[in-house]
Amino acid sequence: MRIIRIIAQILLLYIFYYMGVFIVELTGLPLPSSIIGLVLLAVCLKMKLVKVEYIREGAGFLIAFMTLFFIPPIVGIIDYPQLLSGNGMILMGTVVASTLFAILCTSKLSELIEKKEMAIKEKKEREDEGSEGSHLHN
Amino acid sequence: MKAVIYIISTVLVYILMYQLHKRYPYAFLLPILTTTIVLVAALLLFEIPFSEYMEGGKYIQHLLGPAVVALAYPLYNQRHLISKFKYTILSGIFIAMISGLLSVYFILKALKLEERFILTSLPKSLTTPIAMQVSESIGGIPSLTAVFVMIAGFTGALFGPILYKMLKVNSPISRGISMGSASHGVGISKLKDYGEEDLSMGSLSMGLSAVIGAILCPIFVFFFF
Repeated sequence: MRIIRIIAQILLLYIFYYMGVFIVELTGLPLPSSIIGLVLLAVCLKMKLVKVEYIREGAGFLIAFMTLFFIPPIVGIIDYPQLLSGNGMILMGTVVASTLFAILCTSKLSELIEKKEMAIKEKKEREDEGSEGSHLHN
Repeated sequence: MKAVIYIISTVLVYILMYQLHKRYPYAFLLPILTTTIVLVAALLLFEIPFSEYMEGGKYIQHLLGPAVVALAYPLYNQRHLISKFKYTILSGIFIAMISGLLSVYFILKALKLEERFILTSLPKSLTTPIAMQVSESIGGIPSLTAVFVMIAGFTGALFGPILYKMLKVNSPISRGISMGSASHGVGISKLKDYGEEDLSMGSLSMGLSAVIGAILCPIFVFFFF
């Protein structure tokens, strides 16, 4: 019974995927169809058009095995032995440098923004309390 | 017939490698790495061209589409976390994407690398399935992108904690956002050592940045190429 439920739920996820495929073909957007399907599904979940129970087990199953699904395309590196050449090393070095740079910028700046957001929130809470207080006086 | 053999052997190797990693949970034994190495070695050994292997492989890859759609589920589950620190999370992810895209672009442009290789490196910070699909839609080489995604993940996992110590980053939110949006799943696996809050912020940022990145990358390509 559980297997049938999982298969049915995967079919539902496939429907969202093919809606994404359809939208990409219709509009020619340079976006992956699956991302459009993901956004559509997230919107439907949020608007309660699709109940979480309808996809929970199917989604859990696919996510658990996700790594398996992208192994065949990764094996495609076999056709790119240039990766071990000079340019390949430059590319890999750049990926390392850029990742470090992104972590550095993001962690430092988001710490600043977090403090700001906290301060604004606290101020708002204080003001709310203040206005409630004045209501009482009235 | 051959296609069936390729499918079965891919699944078998994956299950074996998954069990191996479960018993010895080291980063270099991640199933994605070991399975790829075993399969590449097998193809080389038996002189099977990749295109022939894909006659079976394409059926496995096909499930990637609905699997990416399924990522809406964990994202939906974490919606309460988003509303708590909306601005910090969204601006953090945006900063990570922009600093990552610009640094890759300018370094590789300065070194005069072929455009196709620059496009291949751009989606490196996104989670593998999405990075590969973005790579394909902007004209990169998906399998090569997957390699760069792994490198970005290991960079974060290895050097992230050192950076946080040097820069005195003490907020779980900042660590989660920066790791999730620069080093995806491999990076956030390292956040376990810090605690639950780091980890959930990391996985939320990974999911959100994958969606935001999938939209930002093509826009970036439109303006810069």
